[in-house]
Amino acid sequence: MQDSGSEHTLSTEALDLPARQTRLQEFWAQLRKNRLALIGLVIFVLFFIVAVTGMVLTTGTSPQLDSSLVRLQEKLRPPLSRPNLKSLQADEVPVLGIYLLGTDELGRDVFARMLQGAWVSLTVGFVAVGIAVLIGIILGGLSGYYGHSPVRVAQVFIAVLVVLVVTNWSRLSFKTLAVLISITVALAVFLLFSRKKEFGGPLFLLNTQLFSVDMLITGLIDIMLCFPSFFLILTVVALLPASIYNIMIVIGLTSWMGAARFVRAEFLSLREQDFVTAARALGVSDWRIIFRHMVPNAIAPVLVSATIGIAGAILTEAGLSFLGFGVPPPHATWGNILSDGKNYLFDAPWLTIIPGVAILVVVLSFNLFGEGLRDILNPKLRERH
Amino acid sequence: MTPDPLLIVKDLKVYFDTDQGMAKAVDGVSFRVGQGETVCLVGESGCGKTVSALSILGLLPQPPAQIAGGKVFFKGRDLLELEQKDLREVRGREISMVFQEPMTSLNPVFTIGHQIEEVITTHEGVDQIESRQRIIRLLNDVGIASPEERMQDYPHNLSGGQRQRVMIAMALACSPELIIADEPTTALDVTIQAQILNLFKELQEDRGMAILQITHDLSVVAGVADRIYVMYAGIMVEEGSVWQIFREPCHPYTMGLLESLPGRRAKGQDLATIPGAVPDPANKPPGCPFHPRCRYVQESCRVQFPEMCDFSDRHLARCPIMYAKRKVQSA
Repeated sequence: MQDSGSEHTLSTEALDLPARQTRLQEFWAQLRKNRLALIGLVIFVLFFIVAVTGMVLTTGTSPQLDSSLVRLQEKLRPPLSRPNLKSLQADEVPVLGIYLLGTDELGRDVFARMLQGAWVSLTVGFVAVGIAVLIGIILGGLSGYYGHSPVRVAQVFIAVLVVLVVTNWSRLSFKTLAVLISITVALAVFLLFSRKKEFGGPLFLLNTQLFSVDMLITGLIDIMLCFPSFFLILTVVALLPASIYNIMIVIGLTSWMGAARFVRAEFLSLREQDFVTAARALGVSDWRIIFRHMVPNAIAPVLVSATIGIAGAILTEAGLSFLGFGVPPPHATWGNILSDGKNYLFDAPWLTIIPGVAILVVVLSFNLFGEGLRDILNPKLRERH
Repeated sequence: MTPDPLLIVKDLKVYFDTDQGMAKAVDGVSFRVGQGETVCLVGESGCGKTVSALSILGLLPQPPAQIAGGKVFFKGRDLLELEQKDLREVRGREISMVFQEPMTSLNPVFTIGHQIEEVITTHEGVDQIESRQRIIRLLNDVGIASPEERMQDYPHNLSGGQRQRVMIAMALACSPELIIADEPTTALDVTIQAQILNLFKELQEDRGMAILQITHDLSVVAGVADRIYVMYAGIMVEEGSVWQIFREPCHPYTMGLLESLPGRRAKGQDLATIPGAVPDPANKPPGCPFHPRCRYVQESCRVQFPEMCDFSDRHLARCPIMYAKRKVQSA
C-alpha cells in the first residue's frame, strides 16, 4: 500500500496497543457474563471429569470400584447405608466403606454403576451427535451452497459403479474389476472435459442434467425422516452384534437430518447475503467463504440442536438398553439402571431417582451451555446480557 | 482522456433464464473507464446497472444468469475468459467493489479488523504486525476515528456511515486500480452521502485509482463524474461528459430524468415524472425499448431498434429522431 498522506503518520504509541484479544480470551470474557451458560459449562466439565474417572475406576481386571459385583445379601440398601460387614467377604466390601448411592436388586453398588454409566452416556452422546452433526453440516452445506449445480447422468453412473466396485470388491473377478474401474475413470475424464462443450448422440445423453444436488440431498433427508427412527435403530441394532460402538454409529447415522436441514436453510439465506458477495468481490475463495464466513453464521442453531441431540442420544441409548438391544447387561448404563430400577419404584426409589436426576442435570447443563454458545457466537445477541 | 482505458466493456449481454422466458437484463452494453477517471452508470431500478457491474467480476450466479456475449477487457485481459482462480486474483487486488447496503455487506460474526485483514492476507503474504499497521492506516484514511479501538468492533457496533467507510477500507486494502461502487450512498442519509462522496474524491486524488460509480441519483453524478453513461432497460441510451449530459441531454429518457429532479419546477406544481414503468426484461417492446414512454415517439421507433447517434464531441445518444431534429435546428 502506498502511504497516502503525511498528516496521518502514526505515532509509535498508537501501534503499541494492548495485545489483541485472542478468540479464546474473548470467548471466555463473554462466557463469564452469561451466568447460566457458565453453570452449564461447569456442570458439563464436572460430568466429563466424573465420566473419565468413572471409566478409569471401573474398568480393568481388578477395578477399584466393581460395578458388576453381586452381593445378594446386601440388596436394595438405601443410599449412605453402611455395609453389613459380617455377611460380606473381605473383597466384597465397598471401597468407600459405605454404599454412597445404595445398592440395587442384586446388591450391586449403584455408585460404581453410575460412574460406569456416565462414561457410556458421555461417549454415546458425543460420538453419536458428532457423527450426526458432521454428516448434517456436510450434506446441508453442499445442498445449500452448491444446490443449483446439476447432477449429470455420467455422475450417477460413476456413483453406481463406485458402489458396485466397493461392495463387491472380493467377489468380482480381476477382469470385471478392471473393466468397471476403467469405465469409471473414462466417465470421470469425460466429465472433466465436457463442461463447456456440446455433444450429439449418446455422449449428449451422458451429459444430460438429471436433477440438482439440492433435490438429491433433500430427497435423502425426506426419505430418512420417513422411517420412525427408533424402530429403524431397533432393526439395525438387532441385526448388528450388540456393542456400544454400533449403537453410537447407528444413532448418529439416523439423526443427522435435523442438522442438515438447519445448515441447508441457513446456507440458502446466507448465500444471498451481501457479505458473501462482498467477500467474493474481494477475492476470497469459495472454500474459505463456506468455512470461515458461512459456517460460523450457520452454526448457532446447529449447536443448539446438537446439545438437545446429545440429550436425545442419551435417552435413545437408555431406551435401547431397556428393551434389551442396548449395551449388553453386565455393563451398566444410566438407561439400564433406570429401567431395572422401575420394578422397585416404591421399595427402592433411589434406583430410579438417581439415574433420572443425573440424566436431567446433564441434559439441562447441555441445553444451558448450548443456548449460551448461541449467544456468544452471534455478537448481535450479546447485548442482552 | 487517457489513450488506453483501464476497463473496456464491449457489447456485454447478460441474460437470466426465468419461467417467463429469457430476461435480457443487460443487452449489449458498452462503456470504458480510463485510468484515474470517475465514470457513472446511471439509470432507474432494474435497468441492469448492478448486473453489468457484477458480471465484470464474474459474481453473478450462473445459472440462472448467463453471459450471452460481449467482452470485458481489463488491462488487455478479457475477464470473462479467465479461470475462477485467476479471477479471484483480480478481485480485491486489481478491481474491488463497494456495495449498496453497508448494513449487510459485513459479516456480523467477525470484527472489522479481522475482515480487512482477511482481504490483505488473501492477496499478500504479510505478517500480523504489518497487516495491523496497514489496517490502522486504512481506517485512518477512510476517516474512522481511533482506528485502534474500532478495529476490534463488530459491524453492529458501527453506524451505517462508519460501516460504509469500513467497506471502502476493505476495498482499498490492496490498492486496486479500479473500484466499482454499486450505489454506495443510497442507504445513507444526505450528510453522510456527501461525506462518503468526498471521501471517494480525496482517495482518488491520493491514490489515482479509477472509480466506476453506479447510481440512480443524478445529484451524486453531477458532483463526482467525469463521464456519464445512461442506461435504460439493459441498453446504453446516452453517454457523454457531465456537462454535455446536464446541459443538453439528447435522449428523451435522459431529458425526462433531468426534468424529474425536484427543484426544476415552480413551487406548488407537481413533480415531473416519466409516465409508465421500465419494461419487463423478459418481455421488452420491439423497436426502441423506451418508445411506450417517449413523448417524441414516431412510427419508426416502434419497429426499428435505434442506433447510437453521434451528437457532438463524444456525446452519443440512441435516438435518431432527436438527432434529426437537432440537425434541423442547427442548420
